[in-house]
Amino acid sequence: MANNNTKNTATESSGKYDFIGKVNIFTGISVLLVVASLIYLGVKGINYGIDFKGGTEFQVKFDKGVSIDQVRHSVDELKLGEVGVQSFGDNNEFIIRFQGKQGATDKETNEILNQDISKIKDIILTTFKDHNPDIRRVDTVGPQVGAELKRNGLLAVFYCLLVILIYVALRFDYKYAPGAVFCLFHDAVITLAIFVAVGKEVNVPILAAILTLIGYSLNDTIVVFDRIRETDAHYHDKGYGFIINKAINDMLHRTLMTSGTVFTSALCLWLFSGGTVGDIAFAICVGIVFGTYSSIYVAAPVVLMMDKIMGKKTAA
Amino acid sequence: MEGLRWRTIGAAAGIVLAIVWFAPNMINVGSWWPSKQKMNYGLDIQGGLHLVMGVDVDGVVKESTTRLMASIKADTAKENVGVTDIKSEKPESGELTLHFAAGDKAKVQKYMSEKHPADLQEVGSTDSSLTYRYFDAYMNEYKNKVIQQAIETIRNRIDEFGVAEPSISQQGTNRILVQLPGMADAEKAKQLINTTAKLDFMIVSNEKTPTELMAMIAEVEKAGGYKLEGMKYSDYVTRINNDLKGKLPEKTAVYFEKSGNAATMEAGAVPYLLKTDTDLTGSALDDATVGYDQYGAPMVSLRFNSAGAAKFADLTGNNSGKQMAIVLDKIIKSAPSIRERIGGGSATITLGGGRDRNQMMDEAKMISTALRAGSLPATLEQLEERRVGATLGQDAIAKAKLGAYIGAALIILFMLMYYKGMGVVVTVALGVNVLAVLALLTSFGATLTLPGIAAIALTVGFAVDANVLINERIKEELFAGHSLKVAIKEGYNRAMSAIIDSNVTTGATAVVLLYFGTGPVRGFAVNLLIGIVTTLFANVFFSKVIVDQLVYKFNVKKLSI
Repeated sequence: MANNNTKNTATESSGKYDFIGKVNIFTGISVLLVVASLIYLGVKGINYGIDFKGGTEFQVKFDKGVSIDQVRHSVDELKLGEVGVQSFGDNNEFIIRFQGKQGATDKETNEILNQDISKIKDIILTTFKDHNPDIRRVDTVGPQVGAELKRNGLLAVFYCLLVILIYVALRFDYKYAPGAVFCLFHDAVITLAIFVAVGKEVNVPILAAILTLIGYSLNDTIVVFDRIRETDAHYHDKGYGFIINKAINDMLHRTLMTSGTVFTSALCLWLFSGGTVGDIAFAICVGIVFGTYSSIYVAAPVVLMMDKIMGKKTAA
Repeated sequence: MEGLRWRTIGAAAGIVLAIVWFAPNMINVGSWWPSKQKMNYGLDIQGGLHLVMGVDVDGVVKESTTRLMASIKADTAKENVGVTDIKSEKPESGELTLHFAAGDKAKVQKYMSEKHPADLQEVGSTDSSLTYRYFDAYMNEYKNKVIQQAIETIRNRIDEFGVAEPSISQQGTNRILVQLPGMADAEKAKQLINTTAKLDFMIVSNEKTPTELMAMIAEVEKAGGYKLEGMKYSDYVTRINNDLKGKLPEKTAVYFEKSGNAATMEAGAVPYLLKTDTDLTGSALDDATVGYDQYGAPMVSLRFNSAGAAKFADLTGNNSGKQMAIVLDKIIKSAPSIRERIGGGSATITLGGGRDRNQMMDEAKMISTALRAGSLPATLEQLEERRVGATLGQDAIAKAKLGAYIGAALIILFMLMYYKGMGVVVTVALGVNVLAVLALLTSFGATLTLPGIAAIALTVGFAVDANVLINERIKEELFAGHSLKVAIKEGYNRAMSAIIDSNVTTGATAVVLLYFGTGPVRGFAVNLLIGIVTTLFANVFFSKVIVDQLVYKFNVKKLSI
């Protein structure tokens, strides 16, 4: 293959950058990243939020300086098991998170959860009476619902990948499909790993963001595939390495431009909006970086590999 | 350029439609304006209470099976069928096993097929036992009734709380989703929803006529300066009865019935004077079903348990000719007249004539639902609660808007600098795109949630994506030496396949999200889907119309790109 490639580039340039020549290095990097992410997720575990795990989350705002230790201390007094307190935005706003003790049955767990909620509420309203406490949000998810949301979430990811696999196989060629799906897997796993690494929790909206990302990452990949197909039609006497390299080079400018614009809008959302919207935007920001990388260095090489495996393209 | 005029008209029509739909959100449109619907904001934006209640359907079935076993036992003993014992291994699935002496099998089978032809089926037998189970269809209908009655009970409570636009709906097979927008006092609402329904049978007193009652009520209302409107129903009833103390006969109280076609309690409250010394409650009742009389008219059949039957017989014996009110949570659901003493524990309520069959059927269903809600109340269990304060929603939407505006501004700036003339076209198309997204959201009555706002911001990003694809393609064609007209035509045409492909895949993920998601995530998915449609309209179709107009009508020879 390498011989074939050099022979062709001698007569006509396949583009400014030799992506395919360095394909081994980047394949190595990609595989390493995915493996590292999988190991990391396996060891650390996904940091499920209350949507999936069940539990309660309070968001409380005080009108003047209350320290995180004060909040933690007063909540710890209740001995509700592990309670997480996190400051949010400026220092007057906190998120209190706890899972509640397990009862013998789901019903009991629900009851314990409900009692704990009113205990926390009471203690916040009495202890910090002078600080004008405002309980701005309370989310409680019972254990059954959590398990169900998790199952539905995983099913959603599975069906997304399936639908995309079928679409790509029908629309392009079966040899493109594995590249697209590997790409999506690559992007989703790495994004999830980074998301967990920065200590953010995975909730339903984040899952939605990752699914959207799968869709978007595919946009990029498909644009490259589209171009490969077109280039193939023009240069079908050249080797596949040449064709892919030329297609990527031709599309490079556009790929960076479009990713750049989506990245910009996601970045602004991330920087300026907090909470759910901010987290969604963060996931998309990270995902776009890897999605762009993968459409250049992951998708096309897999297509090349599939081509090799399924028999070298014969010169017309 | 083929069809340019028609495409221009299409584009203009699209924009006019978008403005028509969107306008009610911005200005107070007059009554002549064709669309009045405003955008719905999700609970995460406007604040409110979102509850998912689990209904213990299995528990109700279990209890019902236990009662059925007791009643079969009593009946078979009375009719000497020879059943020695009735047991159930799985009462929650409606299964029961009849035991008898070895020779009595045929007799028991005959008895069961005569008495329970529609509800029970034989599923197994030995020489000395027969196992029966509810027919699947009967069981499903029964479970559905349990859910409906739980929904009815919750609605009853919420109505009394006076929340604007509550939404109470079934979710799955055993869940109820309650959404109360802008609900400040979540604790109270939760308490209300969680209390078990209370059913009472009370005798209507004839000592005051309805007209007299109305006059008395109007008097104390005027004296106290209050009205049912704006009050909780239960508070109002307590207040009225306190104020009327001394003016009413001993051991009576005034409760109200909501008249047939009134939309609210305030509009159709009919007072009744009820005797409070009858001690017959929902616990006396076994079951209530809708049946038909010999002429095929709908009626309600009641079956009392053994303790209830005796009380009911006494009550009806002592009060024949009077009315008996069926009172659920202090609201009178119906007040049928007692014709004679009813022994044996079974009674029927026939409905007044003069109406069409559907109306009678509805009333029969309503009465039986109310009766069952009080006799076999399903335990409700809170599974999920999300409560958002109004200030948080406002903060969040303000921040999200800020982020979206800054992002859009940066992108527009970049487009103008990079594509110059074409950048202006892109910017106009983006504006149309966002307008169209908001207009479609409004017209569908879809709910705007926080993740939805993120989706709209992303739509802008995706829309730019499509334009970059087109513009880069036009550039390439220009470099290849084609004329502007050819380059534009080819640019749009050739970019199309990639644009369609990428939107189809985004659309596919959105559909999956819509199917599996709940609440805010569905909002996100709906926005994504709408975003795809509007991107195709604004940034592909509409922008092409502008460019074609420029090139073909205004003869622009050079477009900076």
